Amino acid sequence: MARETLGLVQGTVDVLILKTLSWKTLHGYGIAELIRERSDGDLAVEDAALYQALHRLERKGFVESEWGISHTNRRARFYSITSEGRKQLRTELVELRRYVSALFRVLEPA
Amino acid sequence: MPKAFRFPFRSRTSIAAEVDEELEFHLATVAARLRDEGWPAADADAEARRRFGNVEHTRDYCRAEDLRREREKHRMTIVDEIKQDLRYAFRGLRTTPGFTLIALATLAIGIGANTAIFSVVRAVLLEPLPFATADRIVRVWDTNSSAGIEEGTFSEPDLIDVRAASKLAEVIGGFFFADGQTGIDLTGDGSPERLSAALVTPGFFETLRPRTAAGRVLAADEYEVGHNRSVVLGYGLWQRRFGGEPTIVGKTITLNGDPFTVVGVMRPEFTYPAAQTLDVWLPLSYFGPDAIGRARPLHFISAIARLEPGVTPEQFRTEIAGITARLSRSYPDNPGWDNATVRTIRESIVGDVERPLLVLVAAVAMVLLITCVNIASLLLARASTRQRELAVRAALGAGRSRIVRQLLTESLTLALIGGVLGAALGYLAVRALVARGGAELPGAGALHVDGVVLAFTFLVSVFAGVFFGAMPAARAAGPALERSLRAGTRGSVGGTGRRMRSALVVVEVALAVVLAAGASLATKSFARLLAVNPGFQTSSALVVRMNIPKTYATTERRVDYYEGVLQAIRQVPGVIVVGAVHDLPTRGNGEMRTAEQLALPAARPNDSAPVQLHHASPDFFKAMGIPVRSGREFAPSDRLDAPAVFLVNETAAKRFWPGENPVGKVLHLGSTAVQIVGVVGDIRQRGLTEAVEPAVYVSAMQNTRSGMSIVVRTTGDPMRIAGTVRNAIWSVDRNQPIAEVTTLEQMLGGAVARPRLLAWLLGIFGFIGLLLGALGIYGLLAFAVAQRRQEIGVRTALGAPRSAVLKLVMGHGMALTIGGVIVGTLAASVLTRQMQAVLFGIAPGDVSTFVEVIGVLIGTALLASWMPARRALAIDPVTALRAD
Repeated sequence: MARETLGLVQGTVDVLILKTLSWKTLHGYGIAELIRERSDGDLAVEDAALYQALHRLERKGFVESEWGISHTNRRARFYSITSEGRKQLRTELVELRRYVSALFRVLEPA
Repeated sequence: MPKAFRFPFRSRTSIAAEVDEELEFHLATVAARLRDEGWPAADADAEARRRFGNVEHTRDYCRAEDLRREREKHRMTIVDEIKQDLRYAFRGLRTTPGFTLIALATLAIGIGANTAIFSVVRAVLLEPLPFATADRIVRVWDTNSSAGIEEGTFSEPDLIDVRAASKLAEVIGGFFFADGQTGIDLTGDGSPERLSAALVTPGFFETLRPRTAAGRVLAADEYEVGHNRSVVLGYGLWQRRFGGEPTIVGKTITLNGDPFTVVGVMRPEFTYPAAQTLDVWLPLSYFGPDAIGRARPLHFISAIARLEPGVTPEQFRTEIAGITARLSRSYPDNPGWDNATVRTIRESIVGDVERPLLVLVAAVAMVLLITCVNIASLLLARASTRQRELAVRAALGAGRSRIVRQLLTESLTLALIGGVLGAALGYLAVRALVARGGAELPGAGALHVDGVVLAFTFLVSVFAGVFFGAMPAARAAGPALERSLRAGTRGSVGGTGRRMRSALVVVEVALAVVLAAGASLATKSFARLLAVNPGFQTSSALVVRMNIPKTYATTERRVDYYEGVLQAIRQVPGVIVVGAVHDLPTRGNGEMRTAEQLALPAARPNDSAPVQLHHASPDFFKAMGIPVRSGREFAPSDRLDAPAVFLVNETAAKRFWPGENPVGKVLHLGSTAVQIVGVVGDIRQRGLTEAVEPAVYVSAMQNTRSGMSIVVRTTGDPMRIAGTVRNAIWSVDRNQPIAEVTTLEQMLGGAVARPRLLAWLLGIFGFIGLLLGALGIYGLLAFAVAQRRQEIGVRTALGAPRSAVLKLVMGHGMALTIGGVIVGTLAASVLTRQMQAVLFGIAPGDVSTFVEVIGVLIGTALLASWMPARRALAIDPVTALRAD
């Protein structure tokens, strides 16, 4: 790998997963791949953290899962976002934006 | 994802397997990619796991999360269903406000009555006695079979001998106490007061072993003459008079003019032998033989004993009976006392209220049953009109169990709301009970509504809800459900529904008969009690009870004081006549003597039958309104210096001088010759239900006693002059303590308080039973008429005479009523036998009472069926046929 991937700030895993699922229904592996792709390999979610987050989000009702068949023809668990999950994504995005801009106001004052 | 009607819940193992499969898929996919990227096949799997992070932890975490989600989902489903059922229940109850109101009102009455009676039963029968190991404590009576005295008292010499001889009792104690009679005067700080007192012998406290609130009970040596100026205070007196200060222990108070040291204070629950409150316990030995006779024939001490472990009351009774028989043989002056009676102390305390209470419990349980039957019947009627609604719900996918649960939720909701109302009603009823009859119930001080009572109410409500909800629910679960959808236009009540409701009405009528019979018997018994002629005029007479202080030491001074007090009261405006006696009826029985002791011409030799000896003043019989049958009553001239005179009552005159007039006869009591100067009317000295005993009256001016019960005959309300009479007494001696100020009416009223309470409560229950029974008949027939409108309409249209329609409806009602009456009469004739002990002057199986009850019930039933029948007659065939 050319560059070191960036570690993820705590709490951003959830929002990344929700965002990813808002595009399409995916299994865990697919979510990890898509995040890596979209960030040009800069962001990598640790697999363990990814699956823990998925099950947590499912319990909270933000995502739901269903068994389906992967393109490798194996049974896989596919996740999709719920309407509550979309709501949650919007609030978390606002939160994250506020957090990041505040962070940068301190680090790089205009 | 398609929503099932209900999710099948996943098990713990299937959750674990799914998580495993999911992670396995991920690792396999990563390993496959690694092999594509050129990793050696052998290392790819390990690398995939390494990159994943902590596989084990993740697996556990995911499983736990899934399990939690599953459980929450399950819980939500149940909560949702319950919420839904509750919503349906409330909606259902709101849409039929008439049904709901009637059901709630009957439930509130049924549950409220049960709550109130349970509170009483708990306070009186279930509350533990305030004694250590109370099951080993018994009450012992000396028994004189030849005189018909089963529960007699001991004389002091007898008790001492029994105590010494008994081996089966750990300790035997005794006391002298009569409610409202044994007392002692407290003087010193504050106003002089007559205290209620129990005079106790050694062994009294050792037998009961009560706990004290402060200090200790009497020590062994404090019963001995010379050390016996010690006293134990009751909790009430301690609070009232000494501010609840523990420092009272060791202090000195003045009782009867003598200094007494307070050694301890009892806890509030210990009032033995009094039922409600007792002021002081002091050694019996304080009153010497001059105050209370100690000879062997003088029986006055009640005995209690603590049995050795393992000894039964019957074994102990045999032992004591042997001892008393031996004593009776050894001392010929004490004949007949040759047996013993033993009961547990609990029985001796609650014995005579237990039966009336159990009768009430049975009655109140029946009220609840009637309530439930009534509501079940209402619900059945309602269910039949709702059958289509239920059928539709079933068709839309609600399972049978779900529908049953919904119906049960509805009836439980109803029952619990009824329970809340019932608890409130019960609370009010308990307060009314304490106010009206509190003094009649031992342990009524502990009477209150608390957590235990509310728990009972809750249980009763749930029972009621399940009881009356079960039948409609069972029917709903039956196969009839779908049929009702298919059935014609109207979801009409099926044959089973009507049969079930008819059976319920029969049960209701039967219960009503039992209740009404019980109520009628108790009321009649009470009326007969009130109709007993006490032998004196109860109205417009004030009663003041006091004891002449012992500062009046000589007989002359006592007589002067006695006359002075009566003279002072005579001056009070409004007083017609005033007299006094030692013991008034229901407040004592005079002094017990034998015919022999009084030199009466006994009918048989050695006649030991009791004769009451009373000390009365001049004008006493006039003040009481007791007629003088022959001769005269006492006159002011019957003084110490005049010849001694007696009066006898009618019973004594008939007994000892059958067919003769005793006036003018002379009795020779030792060296004294006493002339009988008059015969007076009998009075019910022992109480209205007790037989009249022979009585001899001696002039209080010739033979004084310290006890003085003054009767003041006046016009109008006697309590009006109570204050002035008291002041008149205090004008003679301002230190005179007064024990009781009341009226003759109230005094006698106290004696009938318990039967009154019973008659009153059973009367209420009987009325409720009758009302609900009538309501049940009416409800069923009104409903049947409404259901059969079309049929009746057709019959009328086809020319059926009005009488046929009338017969159809009323015949139905009467058939049910007669069935119920037969069952009820049979049940009542068995059950009312249990009332034997609480009835006076009427037998439990009194035929005329039963005939009346049956008459009233049939009359009520006729009325209840007539109203729906009239409605049936009014049915217009045209509208009836066109409807629906």
